[in-house]
Amino acid sequence: MHHLAYLDAGSGSLIVQAVVGGIAGVAVAAKLYWRRLVSRFRRQPTDQS
Amino acid sequence: MVAPDLGRAVRPTPSDAGLRVEPGSFRDPANRVYHCGDDVLRALDETAAAHWRALAASTFFPPLISAGKVCGTEELSPAAAGRSLPADWAAVLRHERIPFVSHPYEWSHAMLRDAALLHLEILRAALPAGFTTKDGSAYNLQWRGSEPVFIDVGSFAPLRDGEPWAGYRQFCQTMLYPLLLGAHLGLDFQPWLRSRIDGIEADQMVRLFRGRRRLSPGVLTHVHLHGSVQRRNADRSTADVRAQLRDAGYTGEVALAAVRGMEKLVRRLDHQPSASHWVDYQRTCGYSGEDRAAKERFVAAALTSAPRHGLVLDLGANDGHYSRLAARHADYVVAVEQDPVVVDRLYRALRAEGERRVLPLVLDLADPSPGGGWRGVERASFAARASADTVLALALVHHLAIGRNVPLAEVVSCLTGLAAPGGQLVVEFVHPEDPMAARLLANKPDGIFPHYRRDTFEALLAAHGTISGRWELPAGTRTLYQVALGA
Repeated sequence: MHHLAYLDAGSGSLIVQAVVGGIAGVAVAAKLYWRRLVSRFRRQPTDQS
Repeated sequence: MVAPDLGRAVRPTPSDAGLRVEPGSFRDPANRVYHCGDDVLRALDETAAAHWRALAASTFFPPLISAGKVCGTEELSPAAAGRSLPADWAAVLRHERIPFVSHPYEWSHAMLRDAALLHLEILRAALPAGFTTKDGSAYNLQWRGSEPVFIDVGSFAPLRDGEPWAGYRQFCQTMLYPLLLGAHLGLDFQPWLRSRIDGIEADQMVRLFRGRRRLSPGVLTHVHLHGSVQRRNADRSTADVRAQLRDAGYTGEVALAAVRGMEKLVRRLDHQPSASHWVDYQRTCGYSGEDRAAKERFVAAALTSAPRHGLVLDLGANDGHYSRLAARHADYVVAVEQDPVVVDRLYRALRAEGERRVLPLVLDLADPSPGGGWRGVERASFAARASADTVLALALVHHLAIGRNVPLAEVVSCLTGLAAPGGQLVVEFVHPEDPMAARLLANKPDGIFPHYRRDTFEALLAAHGTISGRWELPAGTRTLYQVALGA
C-alpha cells in the first residue's frame, strides 16, 4: 500500500469514517473500540505475570 | 508533507526547450506535472502507469471524461513521451489545458461547494468500480468558466476492500470546514485557506463551534468527534488503524455510505450571504442609460479590434455585465471582484446560464493572492498567472487611487503589468468632479490627491503604450481609453 500512503491520512480521520458510514459503520467503530478494550484487559494479567 | 524530489526537478531533459516542472505537483512522488510549451504533461512512475492503464480500461472513468467532470487526458506514445520528458518515467499523459488556474481561496462559497460535490461524486463513482482517490484536496479541482473539473488524474488508485478514504482529512480541512464556516457562522473562508495551504485543522474548528453551535449539521461528527478521535489516536500509526478497521469489518459499503452522507451534508451547506455595498453597485453607480450604451460600444469595439482574442481580465467585474460582453469577443474571461458576495451571485448566475468561458474570482487588487506553499511557488501568485491579451479596468481606477490611496502611477503600472506583452488595456478614468469620485474624495482630507487628474493619467498611459482610442462618456466626467501596450 506504499503508493496510497504518500499522504498521512490521519489515524483518527480513518476511524471517523466508520462513524459517519451509517449504521454498519457505527457498528464497525464500536467493534474496533470493543476489541481494543478487551485486548487491554487480556494483556494486563500477562504484563503482571 | 513529502519532500520535493529536487533531483528530478533539475535533471536535464531530451528536449529541454520550454519544459517547466509544475511547482505544485511534487507532493505525490509517483507522478509529476510538466508544462511543455502549451502542453500540460503528467509523468508517471511504473506503479502510477499501471494504475492509469487500469483506470483508462475501467467502466466508470471514461464517462467522467466525456461528461467533462475530469479533465481531458490521453496517454502519449512511448516515442512522443521520450521526446518530451526524461526517460526514467514509465508513461506520460497529456492533459486538457485549463484556461486559467485559480486557487480555492479565490472561489466563492457556492463555487467551493460545487467543487466539493464534484469531488465526492467522482469518489462515489470510483468506489464501486474498485478505485479510490489518494487525496481529497480542494486543489484537485479547477474550472472551465462556471463548471468545476477534477484535474488530478494521478490521484486515482485501486482500492483494497476495507480501506477508508485516505483523502478524508484533507477533504475536511480544505473543503468541508471552510464550507461549515460560511454556512453556519457566516464567515468568509477565503482568508483561512489563503493563509494555510493544508486548510483548517479540526482543533481550530472545535474552538469556533462551542455551545449550541455543536449541533449545527455536520459539526458534531466531522469537527468535534474528528478532533477528539484524532487526539486520542495520535500515537497510533495509520497502518495499525487500517488493520483494526479491516478486522472490525470496514467494507466498501461503509465507505460508500460515508461518501453519500458527506454529499448530503455538503448539499445542505448552502449559504446565500446577505447583500453588501457592492451588490447593487451597477444600479447605484451613477450611469445614465446613454453612458452605459456608449461604454458598451467602446468596450466592444476595443475588444473586436484587439490584436489577440485569448484571455480577457475584467478587473472589478461586479455583476459581470462587461465580462459577458467580453466573452462574445474573446476565448476566455476572468471576472475579478473583491466582494465574495458579489462573486457568489455572479457565479450562480453564470452556472445557471451554463457559461463555460467566464470564470468569476474573489480577489482584491489592492491585496492580490500572493505565492503560497513550498517556497512561495507551490501556488502561483495572481501576478504570476495573469497574462491577459486585454485588461479591462472599468470604473476601477478611482477606487484604488482614492479609496485605497494607491499612487496613480502605481495603479497604471499594476494594470499594464497584468497584460501580456503586446496586449491592450481598456480603462476608464473617472474625473475628480464625477459624483462617484467626489463621494470617495469626501471621505479623505482635502488636497491629498493632487495628482489624481486626467492629464496625469493620460501621461502615465502614454508612458506604457500608445493610446489608440479615447472616448468621453455623455455625462462628461468619465473618459474611456484603449491603450496598445508595448511588446
